[in-house]
Amino acid sequence: MAQAGASGRRGQSIDPHEAKEAVLGYCLKKGALAAGVADLDAINRIAPPGHRPADLMPRVKSVIALGVGGQTQGAWTVPAKAMAYFGSTETRAYTVAYGLSFFIENRFKARSIYCPPDLDNEEGPRVPLQSLKLHAELAGIGARSLAGDILLHPEFGYMYFASVFTELELPPDEPMQTNPCPAPSCVDLFRKQGQTPCMKFCPAQCLSGDIDEHGQQAAMHYEMSKCAELSEQYEALPRILSAAMAAEDAAAREDVLSDVDNSMFWYKMSVGSGGLLAQCFECMRVCPIATRSPLADPIRRAEAREAAANQDGTA
Amino acid sequence: MTFGLSKDQIGVTESQIDTFGELIFQLSHNVQDRRGDPVRRKDFTDYERQRAGFGMSDAEIAERIGLSKAQVTAIRNIVERRKVRTTTYYRLNELGGGKRFRADEFVAPEDRPAPSGKALALRTALQFDPDRTRHYVGQCWWGNDTLGGWLQRHAGERPDHEAVAWDGGTLSYAELEKQVATVAAGLRGLGIGSGDVVAVQLPNTADCLVAYLAIAAAGAVMTTIYMPYRTDEIRPLLAHSGARAFVCPPQLDDFSPPQAVLSLKDDLALLEHVITVGGAVDGCIAFDALKSPDGKRTTAVDPPVAADPFLLLYTSGTTASPKGVPLNYHTMLSNARLGAPEHGFTANDRLLSAAPFGHLFGLYSIHLALAVGATMVLLPAFSPPGLVQTLTALKPTGLFAAPAHIAACLGMGLLDDADLSSLKLAILSGAQVPPDLARAFDGMLPNGSVSQLWGMTELQAGTYTRPGDSLDVVAGSAGRASPGAEIRVVDENNTPLPAGEEGELQVRGVHLFSGYFDNPGANAAAFTDDGWFRTGDLAVVDGQGNMTLTGRSKDIINRGGVKFNPLDIERLLDQHPRVAQSAIVPVPDDVLGERACVFVVPGEGDPVTLEELCAYLLENGIAKTKLPERLEFIDAMPLTATRKIIKGRLKPSR
Ligand code: SF4
Ligand code: SF4
Repeated sequence: MAQAGASGRRGQSIDPHEAKEAVLGYCLKKGALAAGVADLDAINRIAPPGHRPADLMPRVKSVIALGVGGQTQGAWTVPAKAMAYFGSTETRAYTVAYGLSFFIENRFKARSIYCPPDLDNEEGPRVPLQSLKLHAELAGIGARSLAGDILLHPEFGYMYFASVFTELELPPDEPMQTNPCPAPSCVDLFRKQGQTPCMKFCPAQCLSGDIDEHGQQAAMHYEMSKCAELSEQYEALPRILSAAMAAEDAAAREDVLSDVDNSMFWYKMSVGSGGLLAQCFECMRVCPIATRSPLADPIRRAEAREAAANQDGTA
Repeated sequence: MTFGLSKDQIGVTESQIDTFGELIFQLSHNVQDRRGDPVRRKDFTDYERQRAGFGMSDAEIAERIGLSKAQVTAIRNIVERRKVRTTTYYRLNELGGGKRFRADEFVAPEDRPAPSGKALALRTALQFDPDRTRHYVGQCWWGNDTLGGWLQRHAGERPDHEAVAWDGGTLSYAELEKQVATVAAGLRGLGIGSGDVVAVQLPNTADCLVAYLAIAAAGAVMTTIYMPYRTDEIRPLLAHSGARAFVCPPQLDDFSPPQAVLSLKDDLALLEHVITVGGAVDGCIAFDALKSPDGKRTTAVDPPVAADPFLLLYTSGTTASPKGVPLNYHTMLSNARLGAPEHGFTANDRLLSAAPFGHLFGLYSIHLALAVGATMVLLPAFSPPGLVQTLTALKPTGLFAAPAHIAACLGMGLLDDADLSSLKLAILSGAQVPPDLARAFDGMLPNGSVSQLWGMTELQAGTYTRPGDSLDVVAGSAGRASPGAEIRVVDENNTPLPAGEEGELQVRGVHLFSGYFDNPGANAAAFTDDGWFRTGDLAVVDGQGNMTLTGRSKDIINRGGVKFNPLDIERLLDQHPRVAQSAIVPVPDDVLGERACVFVVPGEGDPVTLEELCAYLLENGIAKTKLPERLEFIDAMPLTATRKIIKGRLKPSR
């Protein structure tokens, strides 16, 4: 049933709940593990001016967040340097979001955009145009962890997120009732050693925090610059060039530009390698939620799907 | 440029960067702090309180601190780029696939210590002929053998196998490896790193062995100080080697090595630590403290590799120009690895060295044992009864001794009734072996035989007889070249001589050092143009390749295996008021091989006595083992045209 005020551009009435069901159904069908609608008012109260949905899309009415699976189970077994090349699977999330924006325009005739995941070129390398994390958290498909606020889901573990803004009005979801992080085993380790696994094994040692007497997050401290320095080699480029220019003579300059490290850097640049940008993923590799949540592992997800299909067949 | 504006246009100054840079960095997304879970709870009041902690946009920061947004962006960008390091990415390479990052063990690339100048100089001294290097590697003679690698292999494969046995205790390979790793970590904690020299003056104890292997595991280099050495002999060695630490017992008879060396610290700029084994001394580090595990086993940042130096041994030089022999694993351990099967040693053997570990011959027994994973049987300090007791009680299968050791036991009749049944092989070396002694001792071994070995500090085991050689060969020669090595005898024109002719012995091969440390004069004289080492010894090689030493072209005194150049002593004696000129020459001796005889041209006053000269030398820090044991007076020294003493003409009267 159509609801007053909920209409597409062509004036036909649309039931927001049905529309939401269709929208979220589309996401799941196209490979998202979870999807939800974030509360726009809440986003506006948290995101700073310039980073609110309306700053990007003036007549936005709904923000849809979706998450796709993080890593294959095999990915957790490979060396970090290999992960740095193929670890990121966020493009799958963007593909679903991109498709969803077309789907909404086709189906509901409501203007939609796929929210760009990029950094805000006016704010530098740490600040996104829009916080996909905020959208996903308010849409109830992830909660901030002690690992630098990476969102975790109790069933799907660690996901990549994408957002779609639309002029279609959809009823918002609520954030998750409880935060799965820290997992009980992390609380145990923290009590013994003062660090959770993600803190302990982070190679940049950029994570720290505290857990309260109920085993809930009390404090999270994250030095993003250290994590980025480890993961995002592009920031080193100007340093390399200025070191070369400052070199004393031709031999020293050649040393800077063509030493083993920098030769590898030029290689990565020339092939557009993901190794220039990717994270090390150590915090997630050791995170029990990221790797061992019931459906975090694609193999277990497939098994669960098959079991469900068999059960349906039996019934 | 920031948003197309120059720094000047925006009005950003260095003082502004200094004033606001860190604050902007902290307020920005570079550093994030969150208390509780306000976003998920939609607790907007709490969120507002924590706003800055979540990381603010440049516009928010500008509003908060009273700068323009462009200024904030420019300053943030400058601070970020000043902070960014280019090397942290390399932490990634050490991670994953089962390896976890351990903050307590990780040392960032930029924080890894570089070898000191002295350590690099030592490394530079290791320059081998590239063609020969290719050949040795191609033959698999040189591989990646290190003492640490061997020890870890045995500890992994046979952790419970006895590695060390002495009167009063044993250590399994696992225990030895653990102690070595702990002490190595302790040494690294003291700042001892790759290529740093650590001097060791210790008897052949388990702690000496642990110290040696730990120094090696830390990537450092051991230099040995002979036990009888006193202050005046220790000082030039510590100075020339650039030792950063000195390891010693608290007391040696009436001499306190730690006190002596502490008193030298002001003169020795590089010496930082004195470590005492077996007791604490003020101002020193107790070896036991390094040995006690603190629960952590820090891995070496750069574990040593076979090309690295690990020994710097001093051979007969002079105070002004000591001859330091830097040795790497390639040479020494290939010599041991290839030698072990030649001697017939396996993991089931128990090797005892009567020779001190301060000598390369003593260390050779360790290298052989570690090459095969055998047991090292220890005799802390040689005495004839001590040796016989150790042979009887600890049942070694291999013995490394100087002929003087055996002669002393034979002389006291201690071997007549001793149970020598465990011995498979007794390797005699360190001085020329009297044929009768070799035969007599061989006859006393019911299940074994004697072998004769000739070695030098410059090359470890040069030639040796093999088990199965006839007694004539064993008694009359030092055997054939070790595997991967060649020997030749040449005339004064460097022309190789046919078998049976006497000439200078020259050596080349996998075991040969590449040159003396910081002594270009000695190096120029030591090698031929085609890379043969001039040993300075006279020898004959027979048709089967067995080498017999026939004399020496050098002036070294070899007193029971302790070789010394008498030049320093002669210089001291020449300062004695009742000595006009002195010269020390060896005289043959049945027990020690040689003893020192001093020829003196009398000075003022009454003729000096041997006792007076010895007391004078002791007062001046000369070791007892170097004291002359005979005195001859002579009116004038036989001199060359350039007024050098012709020592060959100084013949004792009886
Ligand atoms: S991605 Fe790596 S550096 Fe960054 S927080 Fe996780 S573990 Fe630390
Ligand atoms: S390891 Fe995972 S669950 Fe544990 S504290 Fe870190 S992020 Fe939370």
